[in-house]
Amino acid sequence: MTDASITAPGKDSRPSATLLPSGEKRARLRKWRYFKDGVSRYGVGAGGIGVVFALGLIFVYLFYEVFPLLVPADVSVETRYTVPGDREADTLFLTLERYQELGVRFSSQGVATFFQADDGHIRRQIALPIPEGVAITSFAHGEARQRLVAYGLSDGRAIVGRHAYDLSYPDDVRYITPKVEFPLGEAPVVVDPQGSAIIQIAIQEGPQGFVLAALTEDNRLLMSRVRSTTNLFTGAVDIRRDAFQLPSPPGNTRQILVSGDHRSLFVADDLGQLHYYDISTPTQARRVDSGQVVPEGHQITAMDFLVGTLSIIVGGSDGSVSQWFLVRDDRNQHHLTRVREFQSHAAPITVITPELARKGFYVGDASGVLGIHYATSHRTLLKRQVTDGPIRDIGLSPVNQAMLVRDDADNMLLLDLRNPHPQVSWQALWSRVWYEGRSQPEFIWQSSGATDDFEPKFSLIPVTLGTLKAAFFAMLFATPLAIMGAIYTAYFMQRHLRTVVKPTVEIMEALPTVILGFLAGLWLAPFIESHLPAVFSILILMPLAMLVAGFAWTRMPMSVRQYVPLGMEILILVPVILLVGWLSIAASPLMEVLFFGGSMRQWLTEVGITYDQRNALVVGIAMGFAVIPTIFSIAEDAVFNVPKHLTQGSLALGATPWQTVVGVVLPTASPGIFAAVMMGFGRAVGETMIVLMATGNSPVINFNIFEGMRTLSANIAVELTETAVGSTHYRILFFSALVLLILTFVVNTAAEIIRQRLRQRYSNL
Amino acid sequence: MDGMTTMTEQNTMTHGVTAGLFENTERKRLRLADETIALEVQDLNLYYGEAQALKRISMKVAAKRVTAFIGPSGCGKSTLLRCFNRMNDLVDACRIEGKILLEGEDIYDRKVDVAELRRRVGMVFQKPNPFPKSIYENVAYGLRLQGVRDRKVLDEVVERSLRGAALWDEVKDRLHQNAFGLSGGQQQRLVIARSIAIEPEVILLDEPASALDPISTAKIEELIYELKEDYTILIVTHNMQQAARVSDYTAYMYLGEMIEYGDTMTLFTNPRKKATEDYITGRYG
Repeated sequence: MTDASITAPGKDSRPSATLLPSGEKRARLRKWRYFKDGVSRYGVGAGGIGVVFALGLIFVYLFYEVFPLLVPADVSVETRYTVPGDREADTLFLTLERYQELGVRFSSQGVATFFQADDGHIRRQIALPIPEGVAITSFAHGEARQRLVAYGLSDGRAIVGRHAYDLSYPDDVRYITPKVEFPLGEAPVVVDPQGSAIIQIAIQEGPQGFVLAALTEDNRLLMSRVRSTTNLFTGAVDIRRDAFQLPSPPGNTRQILVSGDHRSLFVADDLGQLHYYDISTPTQARRVDSGQVVPEGHQITAMDFLVGTLSIIVGGSDGSVSQWFLVRDDRNQHHLTRVREFQSHAAPITVITPELARKGFYVGDASGVLGIHYATSHRTLLKRQVTDGPIRDIGLSPVNQAMLVRDDADNMLLLDLRNPHPQVSWQALWSRVWYEGRSQPEFIWQSSGATDDFEPKFSLIPVTLGTLKAAFFAMLFATPLAIMGAIYTAYFMQRHLRTVVKPTVEIMEALPTVILGFLAGLWLAPFIESHLPAVFSILILMPLAMLVAGFAWTRMPMSVRQYVPLGMEILILVPVILLVGWLSIAASPLMEVLFFGGSMRQWLTEVGITYDQRNALVVGIAMGFAVIPTIFSIAEDAVFNVPKHLTQGSLALGATPWQTVVGVVLPTASPGIFAAVMMGFGRAVGETMIVLMATGNSPVINFNIFEGMRTLSANIAVELTETAVGSTHYRILFFSALVLLILTFVVNTAAEIIRQRLRQRYSNL
Repeated sequence: MDGMTTMTEQNTMTHGVTAGLFENTERKRLRLADETIALEVQDLNLYYGEAQALKRISMKVAAKRVTAFIGPSGCGKSTLLRCFNRMNDLVDACRIEGKILLEGEDIYDRKVDVAELRRRVGMVFQKPNPFPKSIYENVAYGLRLQGVRDRKVLDEVVERSLRGAALWDEVKDRLHQNAFGLSGGQQQRLVIARSIAIEPEVILLDEPASALDPISTAKIEELIYELKEDYTILIVTHNMQQAARVSDYTAYMYLGEMIEYGDTMTLFTNPRKKATEDYITGRYG
């Protein structure tokens, strides 16, 4: 071995003088040392890789939770059979129940056929009680979630039914018994007292009861509000009906839609025009607006409300699909407005079926292509040929996992549907979106509402900007204080004092932010609100007083100055700071009376500045406190590590200490100071508890220092606990966590790169 | 025993070189009495806390001459040098008694503007300390401190100073590159250029060549020889040949006291004190 050859000559030349252990022993020891060396090397290596791996895992986990958002929608044909029930009669409406076990078909003969969705086997057929000698002349269905259908009859009456399902569990197996209920009674409701045939009908159930709209053979537009009350004791159904006649629509009416809130009525004619009637006061109902919703020369071939009955999706004979709703203008007038145009189909649209709880809809066209679209995110998720002939009906399950498609040749398809996250698109998260009922496209974060038909608003812009706003005001407060403090501590302060001050400030970093947030939200916010003038006078007077005190100190005779040791002059500022602080607070009520008519907060509101108690000012101060130690510590190190020979070189050239700071110390330490600021910014961006407790958490977009904000981190903290695991909202929150992680990662990486460059640049000093 | 012999031989050689220095150069014996006096130290005591670092130093420094301070490590020669531009003020717990007169005025007087004093008494340190700026900005730094903004003036002074420090030809094409790109010797000459740019009267050199290779050292020594035409130069050095080569007057210090001070030739060839002789012949210790 080489060991032997190395030790051998030494042994020979000075055999007696050496006090070292024998060569053999040393060789053994050397092996042991190499072993320890190797172990520690691999140990440290493994530790380092482990850290990187853990960080990677966080990314992987977040991606794993976010990834399903990116999976496209898909359908596949499960089974295929011919339409069950009376094939002589036309199918008017198809749908599925909640368990996707049964489908129902309403026919033009007034028969509801309940059948097994997977094989078309008829479970039950119920004929609606159509009176003798009366023909069915029209049909309508309400919002799918209401499960309402209405048949208009030739004698001016209508019959309203609801398909319903009883659940029982014989032998512990779910058994569904379908039925048809008659919420307005089994007897037909009179719509037209004059008794003319109803050729178009529309129905909707809203909070104020049912509304029926009908067009009679002689082109009268009628509307009935029907309220049914069931007597608790007798079970008798008492029906109150108010009937109104509306101005007759121009042209030949193809379809009528009426909204669930009993406020608007839409009539489509055969020239591609849609007419809007304001029926909120039925006695003064009038046509307010009309619009060409498909190109001239084309016709409206399908039309339906999205859930919530605010938006109308219009399909035309040209294959176009567009979303329309009423937009209020400056004069408080509603106008039919084309909000979105979706990817058009190659053939005329034949059917539009909205989802039951989301703002999506399914479109069938005359060439057998099925399209899946989503309104809010403005996406066309899928377009696929599912059958050869024109699609006539689409029946959708309430949970969006299966659908029935009937084509012209009465083929029925049961499709398996996977469309879990249609609400997400780059545009929905980051661009202005025109939400239902809004007058213009906006950035809004509002993830849940009180009703099922609520349109979730997932714009990440308000929370991202809120994050930046909170960080900005925190940095505005913290950066000057921390950097100037760092320069003073590192460069001017007496060494002894420095060894006390620096660790003290650094310990502030260990202060739990929940305590800072708690103090900020419950003490500081009300305090600032009631002492606003004090805040501003401190802001102005404190630096001034310090400057004055410093100047006065330099003018003091030496006999006074010698009592304060060099580098301890800072201590004379303590009474000055206390005095200014006390004076400002004490004079605050007086200033409010003198200049602000008694209350500065009131005064701000009067001059048009919104004031929230928990606002960016409070957050800036509280989070500033959390950020100061980070910036101070790193910046102080950077300034302190400027080599002494550089500062001495500058001083030896006749520079004053201040000139040395500006001319040599700051430029040399600037990358370190920049890195410190970036680290502080990273901290401010990721900070959660303080912003959670002291901002009010309203996701508004503005840079008013007196208003609150909601940050990405607080948003996650607030909402993640209240969302359904695996839902779109849940995954969007994970996505926002990923955004936050990337944001802090980018900021910290930039800071680290700059620090590395700094190290390189000054390594030869 | 062997080791001892070798050391003695080396020391004899050193002495031989020192003595031989003057054989090839014609050097007049100088007398302090004939000189214009630039600086005068009067009864200077310096304390670091309780410890006294300089003891009753009194000396006169000749104008436009090179005065060298030699002595073993810790003898206080650098401390004394730093008294001339009050760099010791930066050291906490440093206390000074006595006077140092620059053109007859006490630099420790309360009315003295320290920054202005340091402009008049420039200093070059042991380790080259260019600022992390361009070569141009390094030289212009002192002028900017004095409020010079005029680009033309700056250009002129930079060129003159760099020529004065014998660096111009080497750096004229890369004035705006970072000063750290220069070699150690060039950096040291840059620092000298930087200090002469503000037209000092005195230049303090604190072991200016100890961190440099022999060729750079030779260049610095040449430069010192040229600089004394215009400036009073005080140099601290560990290298006795250097002291002998560049200086006109030499002070030998030991344990904070000035043992012997006189013209270089006399001090090296015919020291009055045995301690001096022991030190310059290497028997010190």
